[in-house]
Amino acid sequence: MPEIRIENLTHTFGKGQPNELTVLDNINLTFESGSFNAIVGTSGCGKSTLLKMMAGLFAPSDGSMKLDDQIIQGTDRRRGMVFQQDAVFPWMTVSKNISYGPRLRGASAAEQREIEAKWTQAVGLKGFENRWPRELSGGMRKRVDIGRVYANDPDVLLMDEPFGALDAQTKERMQSDLLETWGQSRKTVVFVTHDLEEAIFLADKIVVMSARPGRVHHIEEVSLPRPRTDAMRLTDEFIQIKRRLWEMLDH
Amino acid sequence: MNKNTAFNSKRVILGCLSVAAVIAIYALVTSRPDNNPALLPPITDIITSFWTNLTSGSLLTALGASLFRISAGFLIGTTLALVLGCLIGWYRNIEYLFDPLIEAVRPIPPLAYIPLIIIWFGIGEFSRVLIITIACFMVCVVNVIAGMKNVPAVYEDAASTMGATRFQVFRTVAVPAATPFIITGYRVALAAAWTTLVASELLAAQNGLGFLLQEGRRYFLTDQVMMIIMIIGACAFIMDRIFRKIQAHLMQWSETRE
Ligand SMILES: Nc1ncnc2c1ncn2[C@@H]1O[C@H](COP(=O)(O)OP(=O)(O)OP(=O)(O)O)[C@@H](O)[C@H]1O
Ligand SMILES: [Mg+2]
Repeated sequence: MPEIRIENLTHTFGKGQPNELTVLDNINLTFESGSFNAIVGTSGCGKSTLLKMMAGLFAPSDGSMKLDDQIIQGTDRRRGMVFQQDAVFPWMTVSKNISYGPRLRGASAAEQREIEAKWTQAVGLKGFENRWPRELSGGMRKRVDIGRVYANDPDVLLMDEPFGALDAQTKERMQSDLLETWGQSRKTVVFVTHDLEEAIFLADKIVVMSARPGRVHHIEEVSLPRPRTDAMRLTDEFIQIKRRLWEMLDH
Repeated sequence: MNKNTAFNSKRVILGCLSVAAVIAIYALVTSRPDNNPALLPPITDIITSFWTNLTSGSLLTALGASLFRISAGFLIGTTLALVLGCLIGWYRNIEYLFDPLIEAVRPIPPLAYIPLIIIWFGIGEFSRVLIITIACFMVCVVNVIAGMKNVPAVYEDAASTMGATRFQVFRTVAVPAATPFIITGYRVALAAAWTTLVASELLAAQNGLGFLLQEGRRYFLTDQVMMIIMIIGACAFIMDRIFRKIQAHLMQWSETRE
């Protein structure tokens, strides 16, 4: 099963140039197989950079990153990513976006239709299958993004602030939906967010990062039982964790 | 749907209005007793010229010859531009290879090649099509390259994290993402094709619309000159309309479609 191990990872943009910038400094992390992990930290501390490296979009300047003892090199469909920006292909309808991955691998028309039906339903976009992305709201486009990655069935799911731009209610609903979907397949998830409550609600483990350069400041194990319910957001344990993390980020 | 049709018919009515106004003013000016018909022939003369040339067959022959040249030059030029532009825009090494060449050649107006082409290939059909091909290629390739270079990185990243190979990213992401630029390239190529067509026919042709223009000037047939100008305008207009239809169809997904 897919376990991610990051060892002594350091990343410097523009290494050797006058404007070089060390974004991540000596990161050591393990994301266990089938666990839900969150990364929190202030803006610019290198969360997206770390996630993109896990996706294999570029290599760290120092240290290593392994998936099941294999060094991560280049992109792979086993490591799916939901980007911070909107990445829905505007030239494809909702359902064509959803079945993009399987189509790459030559899925038959019947298989594609089955996958489209399953995942448009799962992300709550039934009835919008043939719409263009421009006809959807921001939150709906994010659902397409998520459904598309899920339909591609990766082992590891990297999510970069997927709910960052949504209103509170929509956000909470999508968090619950995400947990439900995750509960069925138990992929290894690394979920980046600004939102402490979101991190606590979703994750088994929360990595708190400090900025400039990004370092691992603290690791919080969340022992709230699963399945998580919205009522847990108001429990003492939840609020205590939130206060602890909040004070940490404040410094 | 209803609102759209209403909008369109309003558009057509207003568009026709401006054309009608120009014709009315022209008719008014040419009907004055002090008008010199050799410079500004009355509308009836223009229509007569049209009719004479149509029934004698000379107009259709000329139109056929010109349309053939345009189509051949346009199709060859834009196809080459599409293929080469995609390669240059997508593969770094091919870009390094061709970019200086294209940048050096780009500012040269295609008409400047006419003397050279006549020296090399004579004044035959091949030369005329070649000039139009060059003109179409040059304006189109620049747009295709720009389109390829403007593909948002996040789309490429999304595709490759889903397992797309480099070529699959090219085919399923870069080309569709570049279509707005590519279509613009085709449209400016069409305009360039008309410009160079007439120029090359004015200089060296025994037939075609440009030849009829030249003939009109030589024998002082101002009505014929006016008539041909209008024919060219009408043809270019119709082609552009057809193009917009194709564009609207291909760009259904785009937010900025008309
Ligand atoms: N391609 C790049 N080249 C140079 N510097 C970069 C590049 N990408 C990111 N950076 C820099 O690295 C730092 C971390 O960026 P990153 O996007 O990883 O932050 P983040 O933690 O995701 O922030 P946010 O929460 O705002 O999304 C920033 O200071 C940014 O300017
Ligand atoms: Mg980020």
